Amino acid sequence: MNLLSVNNLHVSFQIKKQELAALIDVSFTLNRGERIAIVGESGAGKSILGFSIVNLISKPGFIKSGSVKLERKELTTMNLRQLQEVRGKRIAMIFQDPMMTLNPVISIGDQLVETIRSHTKITYKDARNIAIKKLQHVQISSPEKRFDQYPHELSGGMRQRVIIASVLLLNPDVIIADEPTTALDVTIQAEILQLLLDICHDNGVALVLISHDLGVVSKVAERTLVMYAGRIVEEGPTLEIINDPQHPYTQGLLNALPQMTLPGQRLNQIQGSMPSLTERPTGCAFHPRCPYATDKCQQEQPNFIHSGVSSVSCFLVEDMVNEFADQSVEPHE
Amino acid sequence: MNQPLIQINNLEKAFASNDSWLKQWRFQNGKFRHHKDNVHALNGVDLTIYQGETLCIVGETGCGKSTLARTIMGLTTPTSGEIYYLDQRIDHLNNKQRMPFRRRMQMVFQNPYASLNPRMTIYQTLNEPIAFHNPQLTRTDIDEKINVLLESVGISASSSDRYPHEFSGGQRQRISLARALSVEPDFIVADEPLSALDVSVQAQVLNLMMDKQEEHNLSYLFITHDLAVVEHFATRVAVMYLGRICELASTNDLFNSPKHPYTRALLSAIPRLDSNATQPIKLIGEVPTPIEKPIGCVFQARCPYANQRCYEESPIMLLQSDATSVACHAVEEERI
Repeated sequence: MNLLSVNNLHVSFQIKKQELAALIDVSFTLNRGERIAIVGESGAGKSILGFSIVNLISKPGFIKSGSVKLERKELTTMNLRQLQEVRGKRIAMIFQDPMMTLNPVISIGDQLVETIRSHTKITYKDARNIAIKKLQHVQISSPEKRFDQYPHELSGGMRQRVIIASVLLLNPDVIIADEPTTALDVTIQAEILQLLLDICHDNGVALVLISHDLGVVSKVAERTLVMYAGRIVEEGPTLEIINDPQHPYTQGLLNALPQMTLPGQRLNQIQGSMPSLTERPTGCAFHPRCPYATDKCQQEQPNFIHSGVSSVSCFLVEDMVNEFADQSVEPHE
Repeated sequence: MNQPLIQINNLEKAFASNDSWLKQWRFQNGKFRHHKDNVHALNGVDLTIYQGETLCIVGETGCGKSTLARTIMGLTTPTSGEIYYLDQRIDHLNNKQRMPFRRRMQMVFQNPYASLNPRMTIYQTLNEPIAFHNPQLTRTDIDEKINVLLESVGISASSSDRYPHEFSGGQRQRISLARALSVEPDFIVADEPLSALDVSVQAQVLNLMMDKQEEHNLSYLFITHDLAVVEHFATRVAVMYLGRICELASTNDLFNSPKHPYTRALLSAIPRLDSNATQPIKLIGEVPTPIEKPIGCVFQARCPYANQRCYEESPIMLLQSDATSVACHAVEEERI
């Protein structure tokens, strides 16, 4: 039984009379304690996917069709009260900018206590003890002192630790982390990632990491989904995707990294840029930027097919797989 | 080696913290004393930038990278120290005296959404510096110049009457670069120009910057915290910590044999793609705020190799056998 399963999810935005598709036919599953990553450029729909899992899409956006199931419970049809039971308690979110997430006029301790007390009936004193314990858990020094401090008194890394502590308060099953380390320095980033990994490992929490940094993804996730223009274009074990990317977009993303070319040489760039929602190309959305695009790519949307341990949606790979299948059949005939 | 273009000697910059006047009074030994907290952003920086090179400055948030860039550009005046452009001293100039240098030194900022005026078309944005610094040019000359400039950064000249919000982040950053190039400078300071961009767009902008460097023999001062970009792009790297430069080396030497304990920790923290990467060296604590001028080595509080001497005496930059300079007692005493 999968912990979380997303099936054929379509999310759209209603702008004036126009309906713009932000997520198209997105499906994936997440097992208990598994760590997956969602990568892609800005505008690929990574964050929208993160938001739609907990049904946080608000007008003009809406979930058009498809299902998001947490074990047996369907999340897309829940009302607000039912959703509040899930949000935070079962599925928690960490956002990119910790300064935006924390309320600047309330001390961090009170924010943590509020979180606990809004979900469980306990006294302030007990809640305070839990909060301090969790602050200790995320390696914040002198938590009693920090409890009464305000967000602006803490550094960026410290704030992100507080956020992680607040997420842990209710022992969720899934943590969705939307670019949790983008605003941080490398040394602090390494610490926060290690902390996230330890927490997932110790408490058996599943993690959905949304990131555009393939280096970060390779350190954290077991499985990776690559998104482009609202669709998942490649899915597979992280190591496989990094060592042997199949989709031209994934290849382009990896080749664009500075460490892929010799110093002083020009970097391999992907031509063009991510299409906006209003001007989605026909057929495979990647074809205007794809070096291997054919006429077929301009007209038809490729299916999601299995190739080795990963799944890819690309005609190029499909043809290759078919060719290979034909060849392996022939000798028997 | 090329000629030095910019020379910085013992540059210091302290910002007065903006406490209210009443809070600046302390009761000490039975008397009220006036006491003002200063944030020491730069504590004695010595640096030489040579013609045609790319000098990268790396360091964590709050180490003074941006202050250094802004001080060189004359956007803030230094508290003490000297800055030379070729042989002329350029700190403490007034606006009028600085004008010829403004044309020769330009800056590209971090956020292309904030650094372009949203109410000016791209044509107006580029027209302003060109017309200002070249009053002898006619309208048609300027038009032609703008068209060539836009095409050279990969933006079609026909879109020159569009506004910044109509462009993507990568395009905007290329327009910022076009604006910096419009007055034909020798030296460009780029303050984290890539951090707001995606990997693939980053590659586009970085390639463009390298092309322009070859075409115009530009020198770059490139500020970043992305070490992968540094490894690819830089000729030399200066590692900054708390307002001081702690290691200055050629890119190869820095990445192959980092010497300063801070550089080692920084390099080990890069998330690399290869699976058998080294464990990151854990630094205890975070960058301290530079309110008090540190006594001894700035890195002592987080350094695993610190000894008594590090707490008492500030290390100076010493030239090592492989032409890198390191400011560290432990390296000097060959303890590491």
